[in-house]
Amino acid sequence: MKRTLSVLAAVSSLLWALPAAAAPAEVGQPAPGFALKDESGAQHSLAQYRGKVVVLEWTNPECPFVQRHYASRTMQKTLAALGGKPLVWLAIDSTSTNTPEKSSAWKKEQGFGYPVLQDPSGAVGHAYGAKTTPHMFVIDEQGVIRYAGAIDDDPRGRSSAPTNYVRQAVEAVETGKAVPATTSVPYGCSVKYKGNG
Amino acid sequence: MICSPPVRLVPPSLCVLALCAGPASAHTDAAATAAGALQGGVPRVEATLLSGLRRVSSGETFPVGVLLKMAPGWHVYWRNPGEAGLASEVSWTAPGLDIGPLQWPVPAVLHSPDGSITSYGYPGEVVLFAEARSGALAGRAVRLAALVDVLVCEVQCIPATLSLERELGVAPEPAVDGQATALLDAARTRVPVDARAADVELAPVRPPGLVAGEAFSTELLASDDEGRPVALAARDVFIPDRMAGLSSLVVESLPLAAGRLRVAGKLAPEAAAGPFALRGVLRLAGASERAVQVDVPLGSIARAGRLLPQTSARGPGLGWALVFAFLGGVVLNLMPCVFPVLALKAYGFVRTVQAGGGRTAGHSLAYTVGIAGTMLVLASGVLVLRAAGRAVGWGFQFQEPLFVAGLASLMVAFALNLFGVFRVGAAGAGLGDVVDGARGAWRSAGEGALAVVLATPCTAPLLGAALGFAFAAPAWVVMAVFLLVALGLALPFCALVLVPGLAAWLPRPGAWMERMRVLLGFALLGTGAWLVSVLGSLAGVQGMVRLLVFLLAVGGAAWVVGSWQDTRRSGAAAAAAAVLLAGVGAATLRFDLTTGPPAAAAWSPEAVAAELRAGRPVFVDFTADWCLTCKFNEHTVLSRPPVLEAVRATRTRVLVADWTRPDPRIAVELAARGRAGIPLYLVFSPHRPGAPEVLPELLTEGRVVDALQRATREMSAGLSPVPPTTEEARP
Repeated sequence: MKRTLSVLAAVSSLLWALPAAAAPAEVGQPAPGFALKDESGAQHSLAQYRGKVVVLEWTNPECPFVQRHYASRTMQKTLAALGGKPLVWLAIDSTSTNTPEKSSAWKKEQGFGYPVLQDPSGAVGHAYGAKTTPHMFVIDEQGVIRYAGAIDDDPRGRSSAPTNYVRQAVEAVETGKAVPATTSVPYGCSVKYKGNG
Repeated sequence: MICSPPVRLVPPSLCVLALCAGPASAHTDAAATAAGALQGGVPRVEATLLSGLRRVSSGETFPVGVLLKMAPGWHVYWRNPGEAGLASEVSWTAPGLDIGPLQWPVPAVLHSPDGSITSYGYPGEVVLFAEARSGALAGRAVRLAALVDVLVCEVQCIPATLSLERELGVAPEPAVDGQATALLDAARTRVPVDARAADVELAPVRPPGLVAGEAFSTELLASDDEGRPVALAARDVFIPDRMAGLSSLVVESLPLAAGRLRVAGKLAPEAAAGPFALRGVLRLAGASERAVQVDVPLGSIARAGRLLPQTSARGPGLGWALVFAFLGGVVLNLMPCVFPVLALKAYGFVRTVQAGGGRTAGHSLAYTVGIAGTMLVLASGVLVLRAAGRAVGWGFQFQEPLFVAGLASLMVAFALNLFGVFRVGAAGAGLGDVVDGARGAWRSAGEGALAVVLATPCTAPLLGAALGFAFAAPAWVVMAVFLLVALGLALPFCALVLVPGLAAWLPRPGAWMERMRVLLGFALLGTGAWLVSVLGSLAGVQGMVRLLVFLLAVGGAAWVVGSWQDTRRSGAAAAAAAVLLAGVGAATLRFDLTTGPPAAAAWSPEAVAAELRAGRPVFVDFTADWCLTCKFNEHTVLSRPPVLEAVRATRTRVLVADWTRPDPRIAVELAARGRAGIPLYLVFSPHRPGAPEVLPELLTEGRVVDALQRATREMSAGLSPVPPTTEEARP
């Protein structure tokens, strides 16, 4: 039985890795598993972070929306504000033309510590249905997606006190409360996926 | 001339002006243009401020607008940018002028190179305009200023904020700006007209069920004022506005029927309850590229009203949930998990009737109170766990090994009591003799409580839907549903009391009752054997052995108590029995969940998706070792040759989701299907991966075989449209 199960799991994870038009990830559903290398070559899988709250941030340093949020240090400040409990923050770049070198240079320039996972094939981006940069996902300790959408309610960067959806979702998950807004319409540049053919 | 696109209407003078990039300087016509979104010093967008009137007089209505010209390959966005991008914005400053809402020409539907991201926007050129009305004007000139905020994208995206400003002269007689008017008029022809004004009505063929957090699907028919279908554009037939509460929307036009389109979407979990309308632009067929703005009421969004997902898309309300809860409670009486206790109760009842029927009412009342009280305790437990954020379901207490062990001990003690090893109560000779006293009432209440506790792993048909409704509902609804289940469960015995003469149909007491008593004891031991097997799957063989040793101690204690029951040493015997139980219990009742065998959780959403991608239908069996209905189905239906043959013939993959131990993924999946408990059987077809067929809780061979064959037929039928009647029946 054990062996059958592991074979089944191996086969299903293999199929999962293929880029295919699967139903996109949804709030309330288990988060699609993945295993990606970061800019330094280290492997990260969603399974290894089971038991911790995970934030996924789709990113692209060439996108002005991402640039605006990094200029105002939105992501770093959000992470710092949530410093109380173990939290895993993973940036994912599904831009077809991105390279680990570009990610490293950008990470150095912006001075943040979390890894930038390399997804140039777009397989993981498609599995999550990531549409924009930034596009955020909050996954709870059991591996269930609890929030999907924008980082905040301020697409144009005009508000002095925007509502940070990711921060409020993570705080709700950590305290066992209902997430106030489980989805929002993400805004930003489209993810620059690899074209067909 | 007016019908041709504005691209060809740009007068040469404006084109020259548009190249004058840089910040707008006031009081000259040149300030009416600006360029932005610089890429390598080259602007990707140029904006020109337009006014239909060069000179304005008081009380005039005229259009004002902004001409946006994008570099080849670049675009700006519509008011709903779609899945990416940012809506364009124009904000006006014009003292003395009252400027109406911005008018948006029909946008183009833009797809990312890989086709996964759809957005709506304007490549090339667009004029966004509004109607202005002048008040009582004084002075020589009025100032017209527009702040344009756009995101300009090709592969890269560049935001641009353009400030435009010009002065319009004030004169007794207005003077028309011919070139600007031509551009504005051309743009106006491309703005969708109001559907009613165009005599076009778009209405759902049948209103879909709208439940927050769930998918919906409906077919819409566009017709004219005489009810004839209206021909629609061949592609990009519907461009949706941004609608609050909508998390996704897919629109396809049905090629075979004129004027028809299918809309499928999903509502956000936090979608507000109340009316929901589909808003957007419907493109009609024809050379002039007509389009109408529609606002189609689709019905009212219900929150968490997820009753009976397999038979009704509308989610009937609380009333039906209560009816099903009551009927489900009645059916529970026949379920194998409760039956031994009920048989025992029936036995006691016969004794009471024999002793003089007068007290039966009291006992039935006590029994009902016992059931209702336990149900409400269970409901409170559900509420407390839910408030703590735990995923709970019907029968969750069977995931706790100490609870299972306690219940098994109770069964053994009960059986030994029936065998006559010991008696309950200070005096008398057995079970039947104590029913007359005050303790009898307590006993009836206790039997009610036991019936409830044992009933939970059996989800009766009808009950699944009602509980699925209740587990997601407010606290008072949870209480009401549980109470109705209780009344249903208590009904058979209440009926014996309430219906005169019914009790006379009970068999006459006699020697058979003594034999019956022992027989019932064996039935209870059978229930005990099942509980031991439940514990075995929770805590492994080790745990099972520990429980059996403890049950042996329970037997020993019962013997000690029974042997000295009527002697002066009865107190000492009871103490010795208690010491025995405590000692053995402390040594044995420690169950470690991790030492058990791995749960056979071959099911996972990924596995389902993978099988469906491979083109195989999938049968998912949500089961647990403590779920007797599940085991019944597995032995009498799922393992039968006709079903196995159908599985082989249809190449169906069977996946088992084992809920014997807590698993949040399964709890989440059950909740997504509107269920709180098991069994649940789903048949996925690769043709409709998002909409599995939900089979009833009590399976029949024919039903399973039919569902498997249907899933395969849909596959071979390929992309032919599914008849709306079968599709409408599901959410």
